[in-house]
Amino acid sequence: MKLMNINLEKLIPESLDSVSPMERRSFLKMGLVITGVFAGGRIFSVVSNVNEAFASSTDFVEKYPYSPHYSMVIRQGLCIDCEQCLQACKETNSVPDYGYRTRILTKTVSDAIGRQREFIPILCNHCNDAPCTRACPTKATYKNEVNGVVMMNSKKCIGCKMCILACPYEARYYNAERRAIDKCNFCYDTRISKGEKLTACSYVCPTGARIFGDISDPENVVYSMVHQIEKQVWVLRPESGTKPNVFYMKATRSSPWDLRKQAGAR
Amino acid sequence: MIKKIKSETAERWGYMGIQSLIDSGNYFYVFAVIGVVALAGFAVGLHGTFTGYHHVYGVTRQVPWGVLISAYIFCVVTSTGLCLVSSIGHVFGYEPYMPIAKRAVFLSIVFMLGGFTIIFFDVENPFRMPIYNALSPNFTSNMWWMGTLYTLYLLALIVEYFFLLDQNHSMSRLAGLLGVIFGVAAHSNLGAVFGMLHGREFWYGPYMPIYFIVSAMMSGGAAIIFFSCLAWKIDRTVLTRRMERGIKAVCQLTILLIAIILFFTFWKIISGIVAPEKYIAIKAFISGPYAPHFWIAEVGLGLIVPFVLLIRSEGINTNLMFAATGFMMVGIFFMRYDLVLAGQIVPVFHAMHVEEYNSLLHYMPSFHEIAVVVAGLSFSAALFMLGEKVLNAHKFQKHAIVPPGAFICPGCGGIHYKKEGESEEDALRRHHRMRKVDREDEHA
Amino acid sequence: MKRIALLLLAALLVSLYFYGNVAVAEEDEEHGGDIIYTKPLKAVIFSHKAHTEDIGLECDWCHEETFEMEALYMQENTDFTMESLCNENYCGTCHNGDISFSTTTQCARCHIGVKGYNELVRQGKIEPEEGDVIQVEGGGH
Repeated sequence: MKLMNINLEKLIPESLDSVSPMERRSFLKMGLVITGVFAGGRIFSVVSNVNEAFASSTDFVEKYPYSPHYSMVIRQGLCIDCEQCLQACKETNSVPDYGYRTRILTKTVSDAIGRQREFIPILCNHCNDAPCTRACPTKATYKNEVNGVVMMNSKKCIGCKMCILACPYEARYYNAERRAIDKCNFCYDTRISKGEKLTACSYVCPTGARIFGDISDPENVVYSMVHQIEKQVWVLRPESGTKPNVFYMKATRSSPWDLRKQAGAR
Repeated sequence: MIKKIKSETAERWGYMGIQSLIDSGNYFYVFAVIGVVALAGFAVGLHGTFTGYHHVYGVTRQVPWGVLISAYIFCVVTSTGLCLVSSIGHVFGYEPYMPIAKRAVFLSIVFMLGGFTIIFFDVENPFRMPIYNALSPNFTSNMWWMGTLYTLYLLALIVEYFFLLDQNHSMSRLAGLLGVIFGVAAHSNLGAVFGMLHGREFWYGPYMPIYFIVSAMMSGGAAIIFFSCLAWKIDRTVLTRRMERGIKAVCQLTILLIAIILFFTFWKIISGIVAPEKYIAIKAFISGPYAPHFWIAEVGLGLIVPFVLLIRSEGINTNLMFAATGFMMVGIFFMRYDLVLAGQIVPVFHAMHVEEYNSLLHYMPSFHEIAVVVAGLSFSAALFMLGEKVLNAHKFQKHAIVPPGAFICPGCGGIHYKKEGESEEDALRRHHRMRKVDREDEHA
Repeated sequence: MKRIALLLLAALLVSLYFYGNVAVAEEDEEHGGDIIYTKPLKAVIFSHKAHTEDIGLECDWCHEETFEMEALYMQENTDFTMESLCNENYCGTCHNGDISFSTTTQCARCHIGVKGYNELVRQGKIEPEEGDVIQVEGGGH
């Protein structure tokens, strides 16, 4: 048996110093930028690396895979389940009574002090690595190449319901009227493509629990909400590795309240 | 002239004509009843198509796949299994398995058709499927591969069966090999349809494709024994001594495969118990609402009872084998049902501890769903009964012209020459390099 | 004989049951029970019990200066909004972060949402309004 010739002297120690700036940058791109999970994911929770990422800001922003890169921030504590968003969604996108594109979940923590209830809006996460688009046999569901919205081409849908199973966020249902799976598309066909700035749900939300915007644009409110280390931002089911574009954070009305106006809501 | 060719073909194919079914007395009435049940099921299914499945099916957006998918899987698993087990003989040349080939491949096609019938009523827009599978293929989708590979598989089976009928055994062997390749690809891919859903912890991983192939072979073995015993009950001349030996060989293989599936099931549970994500689903099956399914139907009827009975039968006692594999068919159906449900009953948001998803999801098959399953299965059963009569119980037919001194090998179907004073049996053994067994010994 | 005894026992139990109910109802009336506001948004709960029995506030601390005695009278006012509450009107009189928790925090402590409202309707505790669609949770295909 031949042993490898190892010259211990010449070995490069495995520390951060030995990583070239180039490598380090590509690692950051991998971890932060391409994933689309910025501070929220488990991949990078808000740690010191963020500052380093900020240092190469322009380069960093360009690396969001889409432009505009539509995403939504859910400020969990602000939701009061008034369900105006559900109503607006139904009306805007003609969602039938037996289905929904977005929903509000209730969490009760009975041993919490003070407020014991929390409403959590859920919707399609428009994942960068969407399991549904991989699973669809006919490309009836696909990522919009420009803005990353997960869209439906209803006429191609065979109704096998594979995508419903593939989705870790339960964002899809079969719509008999469309004869296809239906899902949130950030109101792309009904509002955004017609020049509106916001989805129906975020437009009507009275508390600013749903903030919609372009995460790749440093001027955008969503960008500033996610790109900070003061408050924790997370995504749902990070373990599925889907790189979602709906971010969650806690907020109260005392925190920057006018964000919804800034984002252009009603 | 044409008539003569026709009759020659009919003789070679063992085609007995529809009349043989109509003239079969009580058998025909049973066939008719099953046929009517199938038609009634279709009618109910079509009613569902026109009223809209979301009104009449028990599936929801949380549990989108129900008993129809389970039954579809049951059918295609059995089909693949029949193809794989019978290929041991007529594709890979192991003589004892040869006599089962014709019936097995026929049933393989029949179950495939039954499965496609059921899936037709599950997919919302079945007519778009062939169009957009071709026009807009998504090569990363297991679902696309499933449709494509199973279609190729069915085509290979049909070609294989055609050459089996036509006694062109080199061609049938080739087509059979293609069938095995497409079958394994299609079927392991069906496992991957579940195994590649990384949002569903219970299914995710390489376990599913592997499990699907092994359990397909077990189902196939069970189906061969079950339907051969049934065929024997219909027509006693079917169970020739060679057939008997074939069944014995299949029985031994099936016992082994049951043992393998037992340890698959065992380790699936044990490994699931330590993984918190899987534990909820596992618990529902070992001690929760699905425990009767799991312990009585899946483990009891599907594995343990037939395991004991098949060992007891020693591959000879057809009554025991018939009972054992009958139980297995029922147990395996529940196995598929449990498998489809297990990945879905745990809500995707269960870890969020929200009120909406703090319990297991519920699914109960509706009348329409059960009717469609019954339609698909009885359609397969009717085709089986049709085949037994019209295709002369899948006996290997003699070639029209046999050279003097030669005979048709009942095993491989080819023409063998006898040496002087040699019996067909001895020639067969010599030709297939089989050890000579004392006949008296074999009788005992 | 035995049967009569059983009947008597049953009658006693039934009357006890109703007596109990009446007692609870009277108790409710003492402090006004739960008030469910549905305007401008569904829905906000105000619990008289939490404010009087649990914390021990007196009726006249709020009535009739801040709130009319008539339930839900306030929600017809155009200024019955969060904006106004933040300016220490209505609930904000006490819920200003000083006397009690501020109306700018703990939203879902008072806001029970459409879900909470529907649940109360389902339990029969409040009458549904016109146009209410009370859906069963977890449905949908």
